[in-house]
Amino acid sequence: MKTPMGPDREPSTLAILSLSDEDLMARVGEDDERAFTELVRRYQGRVTNLVSRVLNDRECADDLAQEVFIRVFVHRRNYRRGSKLSTWVFTIAANLAKNEIRRRVRRRNWFSLDALQEVLKDSAAVLADPTEGRDRSMEREQLQNELGKAIATIPEKYRFSLVLRDVEGLAYEEIAEVLGIPGGTVRSRINRARSMLKRKLQPLMRRERS
Amino acid sequence: MIACTQARSWFGAYWDDEITQAEREALEAHFTGCPACRTEYEGLAHTLELVASLPRHEASPELLEHTIARVRRVAVAPDRLRATPRPAWVPLAAAATLLIVGAGLLAPWLGSRGRVDGPVASRTASPREPQLVRVSAGAPAVDATSQGALATATPASALVDSLIDHSADVDFVLDPVHVSRGRMVSNPLKQRAQGQQAVITF
Repeated sequence: MKTPMGPDREPSTLAILSLSDEDLMARVGEDDERAFTELVRRYQGRVTNLVSRVLNDRECADDLAQEVFIRVFVHRRNYRRGSKLSTWVFTIAANLAKNEIRRRVRRRNWFSLDALQEVLKDSAAVLADPTEGRDRSMEREQLQNELGKAIATIPEKYRFSLVLRDVEGLAYEEIAEVLGIPGGTVRSRINRARSMLKRKLQPLMRRERS
Repeated sequence: MIACTQARSWFGAYWDDEITQAEREALEAHFTGCPACRTEYEGLAHTLELVASLPRHEASPELLEHTIARVRRVAVAPDRLRATPRPAWVPLAAAATLLIVGAGLLAPWLGSRGRVDGPVASRTASPREPQLVRVSAGAPAVDATSQGALATATPASALVDSLIDHSADVDFVLDPVHVSRGRMVSNPLKQRAQGQQAVITF
């Protein structure tokens, strides 16, 4: 990494902050540590949230996010100027998350559908509990936990499309680029994932409505 | 009015607002006349609202610091991202293993020599040069070590093999592993190896 040079050549921190993503990445390609720091600052939240939602594992998300940025740095000269930086970073994140899912499957340490159904059953019972004084925010938190688990049980190829679209808000074209699949496939996978999720959440939502 | 299957295939695009004006109007007209599709869409919309309401998981405060620290290490040693230093005992262990394996391979051969030549101590002596014990028929026996000139006086072709003391020699018989349909079968060479023949299996 470059150590700070003279003030005549080194852009000020303010200038770094105002750089576009692509210009920032160009500076990272020149081993500018401040630019890399700014890049991590800009993307750490989105990358962490993406991997956390895909894996439904908050603890692991930090480690994986760190790995994503290390890859960004290692492959900094492979970045093609003109392509969207967020797409490139998400591609790396999605690939690492896929690897992590496969590693977990190999270790048989993944949240099983049966386990989910058990949890959903319990959760439905909890939500149906008319106990006085139960905090509404706790119920909400419980619902969100179950939702996170339900997302994690959607098959991998559908799950990534769903999270990139409905959690991260990427456009269909960006998702196609991140996952390396045609736009039509992205659309059908998202539709399929949404239907699966809706089916999984039906018991919970019925209780919530009542 | 459009069919229910057509209407349901537009749900996703309708939610994402990626539908044409004509499709939107057709779908909304369908909703007014089809409560089942309307309920179905409401269920989907509620699910996606829940997904959108999920709280964002923020990065830990240490993520930036840890990442920069790792990147500094990577920058110092490029292409060695995951390389971990090799422990000092690895080469020693490898050498010791080789030594043990080598000794194990040589043990039968050394044992065979020991039975023929006498005590083990004699085997540890440095290798002897071949010695001339007798000349061809008709010629007087000559000690080659004391008569170094003999070698030059006698043509090499005249020194038949029997002139050399072979008592310390060992025949090496290469023992090719005979494989038939994936199973090793007994090697006929092994049975024929006798006396001081050493069989090297590979």
